[in-house]
Amino acid sequence: MNAMNQNSDDHRSLGTEPRGLRRLSNGYFVSTEEAPALSRREFLEAAGFSLSLAAMSGCGRAPVESALPFPIQPVGAIPGRLQYYASTCAGCPAACGLLIGTRDGRPLKMEGLPEHPLSQGGLCAVGQALPIGLYDSQRLIGLLRAGKKAEWAQVDEEILQGLRQIKDQEQQVVIVTSTITSPTIQASIDSFLDQFQNAKHVVLDAVSSSAILDAHEQTHAVRVLPHYRFDRAEVVVSFGADFLGTWISPVEFTADWSARRVPREQSPEMSYHVQLESRMSLTGSNADRRIAIHPSNQGPLVARLADKLAAAAGRQLDEPLAPRIAESDENLVSELAERLWNARGKSLVLCDSQEVGVQTQINFINDLLGNYEHTLDIERPSLQRQGNDREVQQLVEDIRAKQVGALIVAEVDLLYDLAGHESLSAEVGEIPLTISFSHRVDEFAAIAKFVCPDHHTLESWSDAEPISGLISLIQPTIRPLSNTRAIVESLAVWSGQPQAAYEVVKDHWEKKIFPRRRSTGSSQFLDFWEQALRDGFVEVSSEAPTIGRFETSVLEPVAQERMSENFSLVLYNKVSMLDSRHSHNPWLQELPDPVTKVTWDNYVSISPRDAAELGIQDGDVVKVSAGKNGSRIELPALIQPGQHDGVLAVALAYGCKGTDRFAKIGPQWIEARPSVSENGLVGVNAAVFVSFHGGTQRYTRAGFSLAKTSRHRELAATQEYNSLELPPEVAPHGAERRKIVQHTTLAAFTKDAEAGAVEEHFSTETQLWPEDHPKPDHTWGMVIDLNKCTGCSACVIACQSENNIPVVGYDEVRRQREMHWIRIDRYYDGEDEDLNVAHQPMMCQHCGNAPCETVCPVLATVHSSEGLNEQVYNRCVGTRYCANNCPYKVRRFNWFKYPYDDTLQNLVLNPEVTVRSRGVMEKCSMCFQRIEAGKIEARSQGLPIVDGAIQTACQQSCPASAIVFGDMNDPQSEIHLALENPRRYRVLEELNVRPAVSYLRVVRNRDEESQHG
Amino acid sequence: MAKSKKQRTTPVAPVQAADPLATLRPQLITGGKTPADVTRDICAPLDHSPGALWWSAFSVSMTALIVGTIAVTYQIATGIGTWGLNRTVGWAFDITNFVFWVGIGHAGTLISAVLFLFRQKWRTSVNRSAEAMTLIAVVCAGLFPVIHMGRPWLAFWMFPYPNTRGSLWVNFKSPLLWDVFAISTYLLISAVFWYVGLIPDLATIRDKSKPGWRRRITGFFSLGWNGSARTWHRYETVYMLLAGLATPLVFSVHTIVSMDFATAMIPGWHTTIFPPYFVAGAIFSGLAMVLTLMLIARKVMHLEDYITVLHIEAMCKLMLSMGCIVGLAYGTEFFIAAYSGNPYEQFVFLNRALGPFSWAYWTMVSCNVLIPQLLWLRSLRRNFAFVFLISIVVNIGMWFERFVIIVTSLHRDFLPSSWASYVPTIVEVATLVGSFGLFFSCFLLFCRFMPVIAMAEVKGVLKSPQRDLKHDSARGDAA
Repeated sequence: MNAMNQNSDDHRSLGTEPRGLRRLSNGYFVSTEEAPALSRREFLEAAGFSLSLAAMSGCGRAPVESALPFPIQPVGAIPGRLQYYASTCAGCPAACGLLIGTRDGRPLKMEGLPEHPLSQGGLCAVGQALPIGLYDSQRLIGLLRAGKKAEWAQVDEEILQGLRQIKDQEQQVVIVTSTITSPTIQASIDSFLDQFQNAKHVVLDAVSSSAILDAHEQTHAVRVLPHYRFDRAEVVVSFGADFLGTWISPVEFTADWSARRVPREQSPEMSYHVQLESRMSLTGSNADRRIAIHPSNQGPLVARLADKLAAAAGRQLDEPLAPRIAESDENLVSELAERLWNARGKSLVLCDSQEVGVQTQINFINDLLGNYEHTLDIERPSLQRQGNDREVQQLVEDIRAKQVGALIVAEVDLLYDLAGHESLSAEVGEIPLTISFSHRVDEFAAIAKFVCPDHHTLESWSDAEPISGLISLIQPTIRPLSNTRAIVESLAVWSGQPQAAYEVVKDHWEKKIFPRRRSTGSSQFLDFWEQALRDGFVEVSSEAPTIGRFETSVLEPVAQERMSENFSLVLYNKVSMLDSRHSHNPWLQELPDPVTKVTWDNYVSISPRDAAELGIQDGDVVKVSAGKNGSRIELPALIQPGQHDGVLAVALAYGCKGTDRFAKIGPQWIEARPSVSENGLVGVNAAVFVSFHGGTQRYTRAGFSLAKTSRHRELAATQEYNSLELPPEVAPHGAERRKIVQHTTLAAFTKDAEAGAVEEHFSTETQLWPEDHPKPDHTWGMVIDLNKCTGCSACVIACQSENNIPVVGYDEVRRQREMHWIRIDRYYDGEDEDLNVAHQPMMCQHCGNAPCETVCPVLATVHSSEGLNEQVYNRCVGTRYCANNCPYKVRRFNWFKYPYDDTLQNLVLNPEVTVRSRGVMEKCSMCFQRIEAGKIEARSQGLPIVDGAIQTACQQSCPASAIVFGDMNDPQSEIHLALENPRRYRVLEELNVRPAVSYLRVVRNRDEESQHG
Repeated sequence: MAKSKKQRTTPVAPVQAADPLATLRPQLITGGKTPADVTRDICAPLDHSPGALWWSAFSVSMTALIVGTIAVTYQIATGIGTWGLNRTVGWAFDITNFVFWVGIGHAGTLISAVLFLFRQKWRTSVNRSAEAMTLIAVVCAGLFPVIHMGRPWLAFWMFPYPNTRGSLWVNFKSPLLWDVFAISTYLLISAVFWYVGLIPDLATIRDKSKPGWRRRITGFFSLGWNGSARTWHRYETVYMLLAGLATPLVFSVHTIVSMDFATAMIPGWHTTIFPPYFVAGAIFSGLAMVLTLMLIARKVMHLEDYITVLHIEAMCKLMLSMGCIVGLAYGTEFFIAAYSGNPYEQFVFLNRALGPFSWAYWTMVSCNVLIPQLLWLRSLRRNFAFVFLISIVVNIGMWFERFVIIVTSLHRDFLPSSWASYVPTIVEVATLVGSFGLFFSCFLLFCRFMPVIAMAEVKGVLKSPQRDLKHDSARGDAA
C-alpha cells in the first residue's frame, strides 16, 4: 500500500490539471470554483478524469500500459511457459550458478545451474529465496536524501559537488563493501577511487575469514583464500568450520563432500570426516566422528596435531608448538594424525578460527600433508572471502579520528556489523558525505546523507568470479520494478562518465575478460559474450599468484589458555540467515534452522549440563553479558545437545532494523502473538560482541556471564521432540527406540551391504486384497539418500517457492502449524560422546495403500493411476481426518486465510499452482505440475519421457543430489537402480501403507561394526 | 379434529389384568395419586408461569448459549485456527464434544426402547425427558461435525445427492460418512419415537385446554386421538414396533462413531474393542446425564412423587454396571496392547497413563471407574445429593474419556519429529460451554412447554389408593 501512495506521485506528469480544478494529495480533483459554476457536462468530465486517475494510481508499480501484449514477441518467449536464463546467485559471495525460471517476464523460480563447475546444479536456501526479496513491497523504491524522497539528477549533482569538495580538501574517500566477487564492480570501484589521491576500498565481511588470508600471507607470501577441494579429500578434519552449512561456499562443498559419501557394495569406500567443534553445527551433525571441544582447546589441539605431523614428516621444529594437553586429547590427536598421514595429499584440514596463529598452523599441517595443489588450490584461489579485518579496524580508527571525508557503503550494513563499536554511528553521522547503496533503510542507511538503492540482483547486469578463472554473468530477468540504479551506474555517474550497467559489464568483459579466454572458441568477442550469456559462465585463464615457499618461521607456539569459569561465546550464522541483508526475507525467517529447528528468532544455545546446573529451560530469557561493564543482550535460551559445556552460541544477523515489519505477518486473531520479540524486531543483534583482536574480527570470545531472568519466550520450533529414543517413562520394554532413520557403519556395510536393516517380523509381499489398481504408464517414486543428505534445507525453500506455500509467522509455527510441504526431521540419538544426529527429509510418501484416502468422506484425496496421492482442494471440506490418519504427519491444513493482500509480493506466486483457501488440506504433490509439464512436452514431441527430464523442485535444488525422482516402471531409470540399492528401506514399512518414497540408509565411516540402530 | 367434542375422553391406559406379582412390587409412584392427580400435576407447569428457580437456570443456560454462539460465529468467520489444534492433533475439543453428546443421547433410546421391550415399568417416569434429552443431545452433537469442518458452508457435500459435479459421489469407505447416516437415522427415529409417545399426552392437554392457540396446536399434533380401544391398540402396536426399530440403533450409532477411530490406523484408535466399549460408555454417560436432569427436574418441577428413590436407585444400578464394563474395557486395552507385541500400541497406552496427558487419563479412570464403585452401597444409591454428585462426576469422566482417546493417541504417534502438545484456546472452551448452554436451554424449554412425564404411561403403573401399603415403598427393588 505504501508503494501505491508513493507511486501516485509518479503519475503526476500524466496530465496537466484541468481548468478550474484543484488536485488533492490523493489524486482526486476538486473544484476550486463555486458549485453552480460547474455545468453537468464539466462535472462528468472531471469525475471521469479523476476516477481514471485514481484507478491508475491504484495499480501500484505495475503500470497499466505494461499489460499490453508484446508488439514484437521476444525470442523464445511463450506466454505462460517457463523460460530459463543462466545467471549467478548473488545471495552470498559463493556465487553459485543460477538458472532463473521466468514466466511472462517474471522471475519466479531459482534453480541451480547443472553445468556450473562449483555448485553443480545445487542451490542453497538463500539462493532459492531471492524472488521474494525482488517482489518485496518494502524495498526502497527510490532514492533518499537525508531520509526524504529525492530525484536522481539533483542527488547526483549534490554528490558530485560533495566529492569535488572532498577532492579539493584531500580528504579520504572510502568505499566499504562486503566481499565483491564481481570483477566489473571491482573495476568500477577502482576506477572511481582513482579520481582521488586519498581513497581506499575496505572489504568488511559480516562473518569474515580474514585470518585464513592473513595466514597465507605469512606462510605463502600471498594473501589468498585457498579453493578447498572436498571432492579430492578422503580424510577431512574440520576444526569448527561449518563447510556444509555456512562456511565460504557451502553448496559447492556439499556437492563435493557428498560425492564421496556413496559406499557401494562392490567398492565400500567413502570419505572420513571428523569435526571438532564447540557448538553443534550442521557439518558436525553429519560427521563420521564429532568431538565437542572447548574453544580454548582448539589452538592446543591444532598445534599438537601440527607437532605430530611434523614429527612424522621429519620437519620437526626447534620448539614444539603445542603446550601439554590432556591424555585423552593426546590419543585423539594421535589417531587423527595417523589417519591424516595415511591420506597424504588426499586429506584436508580446516579451521574457522580467526586467530592468524592457529591458521598458520593449519597451513603448516596441510603443507606437511602435501595437500596444497591437491585438496587446497592456491594457484587458482577462491575469491569468495576477501574481507580484510585489519583494514576494517583502520577504517574504524579513521572514522573516530574524523579522517574520512566520504563513506560509501555497498552490500553490507556497516553499523549493524560493527555494532560492537560504541558511538560509531554518531561519528559516522559527522562524516561530510555518506552514501548507502542499500535496498532498505538499514542502520547505516538511516544516518547516511544519501541512499541510492541498487537494483535487486534479478534486475541488474553484473558478473562474478568466485574462483580465479571462473567468471559467470548475472543478467537481469525483469525490468527494474522501481526507481533504483545499479552500483556500477552510480559510480560511473560520479566518475563523470555515465554509462549503463550493461555497457559497463560488456566493456569490461571485452577489455579484460575476453583477452583471458582459453585458446579454443571463437575469436570474436560477440560470440564469446553470447556463449557466456547462454552458459552463464566462462572459464578463462587466471593469473597464478606468486606463491612463496612455505615459511615455517612464522609459526608460533600456542600458549596454554587458562580455562576460565566464565562462559565462552561463539557467534555464528544460521544456514538461513547468512548475513543481515537477508533479514527481510520472510521465507528465510521461517526456515527452520537445520539443527535446532527454530524459526523466527535467534537464541542462546546452552549445553544440557550447564542448563541443568543453572536451572534454565528452553525459552527462558537469559542475559548474556561480556564482563562486568561490557555490553549485554537478552535472548531466550535453547538447550543444545552436543554443545560443549561452558560454551554459549548466538546467531548473528538478527535484530535487524526494519524487521518490525514482520510483527503482524501471520494471521491476526484474538490469541495471536506477534512475530517479533520484546525489542520489536526479529531476534536481537549479537554483533555487539564481535570485537577486534590481533587484527581480526573475533567471533569466539571468553569471559561471558549468563544470568537467568524471570521472563520466558517460547521459541517457535517445528519439532518438539528431538530424539529417536522414546521418553524413558513411557517407553515400552524392548522398543525404546524408533527405527525410523536406519544407519550402519562402514565396517558393517563392508561385511554385509544390508547391515543396519531392521529385522522384519512382517511381510508386505502377501496382500489380503489383489493389486487391482494397475499403473501401466508411470509409477512415480522417489529415493532419498540419507547418507548424502546433510539437512541443509535448500529443498524446503525450493518447495515453498515452487508450490506457493504461505509464510505463517512465529505464532503459528509455535503452535505447530507451519505449512512447509517438505520438512527435515532431525533426531538426536545417544548422548554426550555417542551423540549422533540424523536428518531425514519427510514429505508426503504417496502411499500405495494410503490411509488418508479411505477416510475422506468427500473423496477429496484420491490415488492417481500414476501412483500419486492427489489432493483436490476444491472438494476438500476440511475434516482433517486424513491428517489424523497419516502416519507420517505430512499433511498441512489451512487454519486461516493466509494473507495475500500484498499485490506486489503476490507476483512471486507460481501460476501453475493453486493458492489454497482457508479450511482445506494440502501436502506435497510431488510437483504434479512439473510432471504434467514434462508429459505435455514429451507428448508434443511424440517421444517417451526421458528419465531425468522431470525433476521435482526439491530434487533440482539439492546441493548433495540426494534426491532421485522418476518412473519406477522404467527399468532403465535412475530410480530403478536406486531401488535396488542394498541400503534402501522405507519408513514405517511395517504398516503396509506402501510408500512411494524410499530412503537409503546412513553409513557412518566407523570401524566398530555394531551400532545401535 | 373432525370428531365431535363428546367423543373425546381423557386417555387412560386400559386397566391391566390383575397381576398377582404386582402386589409384591414396591410402588413406583408415591402420594396415592389418581389418574386425575397425574394429569393435574404433570400439566401444572404448562399453566403457570415458571418459578424463580426455572428463570435463573434458564438465564444461566442462555448466557452460556450466547457465549458459545459468539465463539462459533467468530471461529467460522476467522478460521479453525482459532482452536488450539495443530498439524498433529487435528481433532480435540470438537470431536470430543461430538462423541460426548452422542453418548449422552444414548440413554433416551435405551430407556424408551430397550427397557420398554424388557417391560421395565420404572422407565415410565423418566422416558419422556430421557427421550427429549436424547433429541437435544443429538442436535448438540450434530453441531460439532459441521463446525469442525474447515469449510462448514460446504457441509452438504457430505450427503450423496445427485449433483452437477460429474456426478461426484461421496466416499462410502469413510467412517465419517457412516456417521452422517448413523446420526441422522438416530435423530429421525428418536424424534419419531418421542413424538409417537407424546400423542396421548398431547390429547390430554388438548382436552384440558380452553379454546385458543394451545388447543389448536395440540389438537393438530394429537392426530385426532379419541382414546378408543382401537386407538390405543394402534398406538401400542406402533410404539412396540418403533421400540423394536430403535433398539438396534442404541448399539449401531455408537458402534459407528467408534469406527471413526477403530478403522483409522493411529495406535490407540486402531482397536477392535471400540464398538462395545463405546456403546457401554455411551449408555453410561447417558444414564449419568438422565440422572442429573431428573434430579434437577424433580426439584424444579416438583415431581417428587413421580421420580422416586426407586427410579433413582434403578438407574444407579444400571449406571454402576455400565461403569464396570467401561472399567473392564480400560483394562482390556492395556492387556491387549501388552499382549499384541505392537510397540506403537504399547507406547500409546503407557503414554496415556504416564505421559504429558496422564492427568486427563487419571481423571477419566477416577471419575468413571473408581468413584462410581461407591454405588455398591445402598444407602448412597438412595441419597439424592450423592447421586447427583456422582452423575456430575461421571459426566466429567466420560468427557475426559473421549478427550483422552482422541488427544493422547494423536499427539504422539509414529514419527517422534511430529509429536506435538495441545492446549485449547478460549474459543474452544467457549464452544463447549455454549453446547451445554444449548442443551440446558432446550431442556428447560421442554420442561416448560411439554409434559415432562409420560402421563399416559405413568397412569398405567399407578396403583389404587386402597392398595397403597406403607411397607411397599420400603421393600425391595424397583424391578
